[in-house]
Amino acid sequence: MILVVGGAYQGKLVFAKELCPKTEWIDGRECKEEEILSCGGIHHFHAYVERQLKAGQPVKQLAGNIADENPEIVIVSDEIGYGIIPVDAFDREYRETAGRLCTELAVYADKVYRVVCGIGVLLKG
Amino acid sequence: MVHLITGGSGSGKSAYAEEEIVRCRKHILEDSGIFSPFLYVATMIPRGREAEKKIRRHREQRMDEGFLTLEKYTQLSGLEIPSNAGILLECVSNLAANEFYERNRDFEGAFEAVVSGIQSISGKTEHLVIVTNEVFSDINGYSQETQEYRRLLGKINCALARMADKVTEVVYGIPVVYKDERKDGGTFME
Repeated sequence: MILVVGGAYQGKLVFAKELCPKTEWIDGRECKEEEILSCGGIHHFHAYVERQLKAGQPVKQLAGNIADENPEIVIVSDEIGYGIIPVDAFDREYRETAGRLCTELAVYADKVYRVVCGIGVLLKG
Repeated sequence: MVHLITGGSGSGKSAYAEEEIVRCRKHILEDSGIFSPFLYVATMIPRGREAEKKIRRHREQRMDEGFLTLEKYTQLSGLEIPSNAGILLECVSNLAANEFYERNRDFEGAFEAVVSGIQSISGKTEHLVIVTNEVFSDINGYSQETQEYRRLLGKINCALARMADKVTEVVYGIPVVYKDERKDGGTFME
């Protein structure tokens, strides 16, 4: 598993595509969970988490399921936890849950990169 | 050489950028003995007390360091650049906002203006230090207009990082180097 994180608009997907040119990608803004468990790579992972929470679907097992069923996956996610704690309760839950999931995924990942200004920095692996 | 310096608010990136420029004069003096001023290209429109206070703080920081300040809020490619020992451009986040709103939120026009303006300045100095801002790791709950601005600044930062020989993030005064092509010819990528 490879995890690529970073702020919004940092060129994370471009970086991940250079790193893994053969990977086929699905988009977290529109994919289903079974696709995540069989795809090559997912980008906008945080958006998948947001959609699931909005629909009242559980995501607690998600990181473990991915590690079990799709251990070679490449995951690209925004880091969204660096601002002021949101006033809105849903935003707080989303922000916290996305953070916890990525933390768990980082444990499973062989490599973790963070992209800043289009430059990938290897944090783990 | 072009050095892009990024970081969050209050991270110490301005002070670090000035140190970088001043250090380069020491090299120039040791090498040639020729004295030229540094140029400080200020892009922040002094609007309101908060901006004035910030500008005053930055000016004080630069006192006695031999900086000549040029104020230019948009269209940097039209700026006349005198002979200099180095240029410090601060800050890309203001410049991007100025170009974006001046052009009635024309994303591509603002992107081109910022990048080509900085490119033109980089051709007129041996040492350009550019200060930009990290505003990308918050929850994405901004207005559409602010999201567009963040996307613009992100795209500009990526373009400037490609142009730069060196890219550094300052984290509470600590420089973290992401790219240094003078040293090892590459990034942290494998």
